[in-house]
Amino acid sequence: MESDTQQIALGLRQGDVVVLEALVEQYQYRLVRYLIYLLGRRDGVDDLVQETWLRVLKRGSSYDGQSRFEPWLFRVARNIAVDAMRKRRMFSLDSNDDDGVRPAPASDGPSPFTLAARTEDAQRVARSLQTLEPVFREALVLRFQEDFSLQEISAIVGAPVSTVASRIYRGLATLRPQFKGETA
Amino acid sequence: MNIDHHESFQHLIDESLAGAISAEREQSLREHLGTCAPCQEYLSASNRVIAGLGGFSFEVDPTLNARVLASLRRPAQRVQSAQPRHRRWALISVAAVVLTTGGSFVDLQFGRLIASVFDIQRMQVQQGLLAFWILPSLCVLLLFPLLPLLSKAGTHREERTL
Repeated sequence: MESDTQQIALGLRQGDVVVLEALVEQYQYRLVRYLIYLLGRRDGVDDLVQETWLRVLKRGSSYDGQSRFEPWLFRVARNIAVDAMRKRRMFSLDSNDDDGVRPAPASDGPSPFTLAARTEDAQRVARSLQTLEPVFREALVLRFQEDFSLQEISAIVGAPVSTVASRIYRGLATLRPQFKGETA
Repeated sequence: MNIDHHESFQHLIDESLAGAISAEREQSLREHLGTCAPCQEYLSASNRVIAGLGGFSFEVDPTLNARVLASLRRPAQRVQSAQPRHRRWALISVAAVVLTTGGSFVDLQFGRLIASVFDIQRMQVQQGLLAFWILPSLCVLLLFPLLPLLSKAGTHREERTL
């Protein structure tokens, strides 16, 4: 009996619309969330999601079904986002300052994090998230929302495990002062 | 307890949250947390951050899935239609290999026999087999890798004309 990942791999190789529908249904929100964390904005994310799925279909034969599908999918999404950022000459994904914090981009309205915050803790985190370097936000969402292991995140972002761990520590360190002196 | 001592345990807390801690160090951390208020506070603040990260609900355009699936339909059909073509090419390739080796085999094993039956020279049999059997099979075999590229170019031309 074939495993889920092997069925996905076979479905992608054959261009099986039923498999694609199920994948889109299952992963759409997670892709949207990941791309918002990565880009720090909401506009343009839907187009990137669409491009991601097109590339998933186009490069489907390169997914062998031996490992989990999610890291492969997120790596595709990341490559699409990085390409798009290069084309638009937006900020680089490479961290270039020591504290991992960059000035908040000029924006007409509230950040996507402020708009999406549904709890008090989320509202507090949202304030600092927008000023955090994209690679730190990315490490946080992949670890704490997607529950990927360090090795999986390393494969997605194409950085050593030690670098990924360091990004998580620094991301937490930037957001932690919001809750300093309080207990849960 | 000095600051360095807390810092080292707080680093262990970070490692634990990131999933980068060994079982042994995790045990040591747990024992320390039972007695250290500053490190408990550090862990609590970290957990609040993680809870905060889980407190977002991003709005997704309800038409996004339908748009994505609509855009996938045509490329998916192309992938589907490419499947039998790949199988056909694979069969052609296998047939070409069999024919090439078969031709050589016939020449080696039955070359003399054929020459005597048709009352011709062995060299003529070899030339005939080479020209009408082995070389055509070999050409198909060598051109096989180019077939998908030629086919793709044809498909692109078709798309442009649509």
